[in-house]
Amino acid sequence: MSKKVAIVSVAQSAGAESKDNFYDQAYRVTRECLDKVGLSRDDLGTIVSASSDIFHGGISCANAYYWETTGAFLKNASRQDGESLFAFMYGVMRILSGQYDTCLVIALCKGSENPDNDACTLMFGDPFYHRNLGLTETTAAALQMQAYMEKYGITKEQCAQVAVKNLGNALRNPFAHRRGKYSVEDVLGSAVTAHPLTELQVAPKSEGFVAMLLASEKKARKLTARPVWFKGYGSSLDTYFLGDRDLLKTELRNAAARAYKMAGIKDPKKDIGVAEITEPYAFQELLWCEELGFCKPGGGGKMIEKGITKIGGALPVNPSGGVLANNPYVSRGLQRLVEGYLQIRGEAGEHQVDKKVKTALAHGTHGYAGQCHAVAIIGV
Amino acid sequence: MGRPVGIIGVGQTHHGRRRDVSYPELVREAVLRAFEDSGLDPSDIDGVVSGTMPSMMEGVALTHFYFADAMQGVGKQIMKTETCGSTGVSIAHTAYYWVTSGMADVVLAVGHEKMNEGDAQATMTTVAEPFYQRYFIAGAPGVFSMQSQMWADRYGIPEEKIRDAAAYISVQHHNAAFDNPYAHVKIRVTPEDVKNARVITYPVRLLDVCPTSDGACAVIFASRDKVKKFGRKAAWVRGVGYRGEEYFFGDSDKGLWQSAAQSAKQAYDQAGIKNPRKELDVAEVYNPFTFQEMLFYECFGFCEPGGAPDLVLKGTFDRGGELPCDPSGGVLCTNPIGATGLIRVAETVLQVTEKAGDRQIPGAKTGFSHAMGGVDQFNGVMIVGSRL
Repeated sequence: MSKKVAIVSVAQSAGAESKDNFYDQAYRVTRECLDKVGLSRDDLGTIVSASSDIFHGGISCANAYYWETTGAFLKNASRQDGESLFAFMYGVMRILSGQYDTCLVIALCKGSENPDNDACTLMFGDPFYHRNLGLTETTAAALQMQAYMEKYGITKEQCAQVAVKNLGNALRNPFAHRRGKYSVEDVLGSAVTAHPLTELQVAPKSEGFVAMLLASEKKARKLTARPVWFKGYGSSLDTYFLGDRDLLKTELRNAAARAYKMAGIKDPKKDIGVAEITEPYAFQELLWCEELGFCKPGGGGKMIEKGITKIGGALPVNPSGGVLANNPYVSRGLQRLVEGYLQIRGEAGEHQVDKKVKTALAHGTHGYAGQCHAVAIIGV
Repeated sequence: MGRPVGIIGVGQTHHGRRRDVSYPELVREAVLRAFEDSGLDPSDIDGVVSGTMPSMMEGVALTHFYFADAMQGVGKQIMKTETCGSTGVSIAHTAYYWVTSGMADVVLAVGHEKMNEGDAQATMTTVAEPFYQRYFIAGAPGVFSMQSQMWADRYGIPEEKIRDAAAYISVQHHNAAFDNPYAHVKIRVTPEDVKNARVITYPVRLLDVCPTSDGACAVIFASRDKVKKFGRKAAWVRGVGYRGEEYFFGDSDKGLWQSAAQSAKQAYDQAGIKNPRKELDVAEVYNPFTFQEMLFYECFGFCEPGGAPDLVLKGTFDRGGELPCDPSGGVLCTNPIGATGLIRVAETVLQVTEKAGDRQIPGAKTGFSHAMGGVDQFNGVMIVGSRL
């Protein structure tokens, strides 16, 4: 890449139910994100939002609804559906095109007004084969977890440790929706959601309005003394029918390989300072760590046991508490990237990791057992 | 600025009431035709942009999952663009930015809708929020009828003249559809048929309105190096523009429509176009309603505000006129919404690469494509040319 793109400002809402309406929440993060670097709406170049439609939130063409509140009035703006890291990447592209020197990326999800997560994910299923089975992200994840434990001898205790770690980390994150000091026994003893998953291993349904301002290199240097640079990105889509897929050899490998190649990362476990991963189901953090090359296949269980991924570990994963602590469906990928930005800038507050972070990885996934993955790398 | 972007392949389904295929099969039909047209193989594609109307339309959410295989998208990078009715043009914009930014070399854009499996007007009613607007803004015709009334009133255009011009447009487009093998509605109509058709929302009558179509469209975008490498004749993207305005219908001026005028201006500025009626050779205007098409001509600078009906009746926008508009038969004859904007792009690509068959405008070198969406709120434009 001859041209560079920087993140210069971020803002996010809390994950718990807010009494404020959608417009107020969207406006607030937009305003905060621009105000932090003193950029007026008139000077803002373009906007890319991420949101999902009617099943999430009761309105079709949701970006029609929130258009003005995100600063888009009579601007060239667009929108990505399902995964907010797509919107981030689209923003990067718009700046690299040379047509815009700033882009606001904003993800919007008012979870408290949405139906249950799986009422929405059931609608991913085709109406003829999958849907009648009751296949959802949760039931698909339960199948994936069984396969994972069986193939590699991963224990349910190791999976539960992810929830213990992340819900514990969330105690230090003021934006987290769910947090607490839990034991492995607490996690395994919580109500069964879809065997072998239990309630504390399954992400909640949260609110999340997340804004990020991107800028060209020249503009970034005017807006902030400490830009965080876009380094790499990759995504990949898997085949549709769950039975056709190897649930333990996922498209995350492809997505990560693309992002690493662009960012020049040779050894991810050494080169990446902190990782924020989308783990709506606790065991997925272990599996995704393997697929991201942080350890070898089947090594995820040992990795968490050794404490490598805790806040003070060699490769902290989800110091914010991750998606288990805060799950605004569409916004969660961008929220991971915001957390990576805060860690690099040393602005993560009480959940700041102990070491100096030069490079951060953010991961987003959606679909049954991770049908689609996106990976973004940012750094100093 | 960014890298030049060429379009080297288009494919579309035979649009209509496609009971013979499933939704993924419909998508596959368009995608395979784009590969056939370009001579490319799915392995040549770096990324796929998918897009459609909201999930309520067919009752499946986030359809990039469902169509991963049909789009030949397995193992590929993926984007999912959705901007309501303007989705089709927004998909094309996403693919364009992906290539011009240098982040991909070859991108497949796919738009699709199988409208006969759902209730489009019910879906569009849910675009309006549930507290204030949903109870009276039901579906598309109401909104667009109000807009055309506002426009007529603004410029004091006699009702008779507008009615005559709208009927003229309907007759022209329905005739044009006979030369488009992919068009949905193929009927011969007379001006009297149009004027006497059943009222949908006054003054809009049945033959002023688009159909409910099943259809998909696929378009392949490539960098200049790849265009050379594949040795394909390309249509080059010369300008893109997009604007959106207020959500609450009563808040904005729909008579002189800012989002339409400014989206076109942005694209003209990029393409260096000063006098669109002279410099454009063909336009595919998103025209689900005859009345609205005239308003668009004005907003896009094809004529002066309030001047469209006269020029329509003079034949300025006929196939043999000064600026032929919708020689494909347009949206009035074919409207699978998520694909519709992309079909506009594809049709202009066919025109400037001289592959439009019986509907070819001789010597067309510069084409204008457009789509509209939201609560009468979004407009997007893409201009393509036979040369950069």
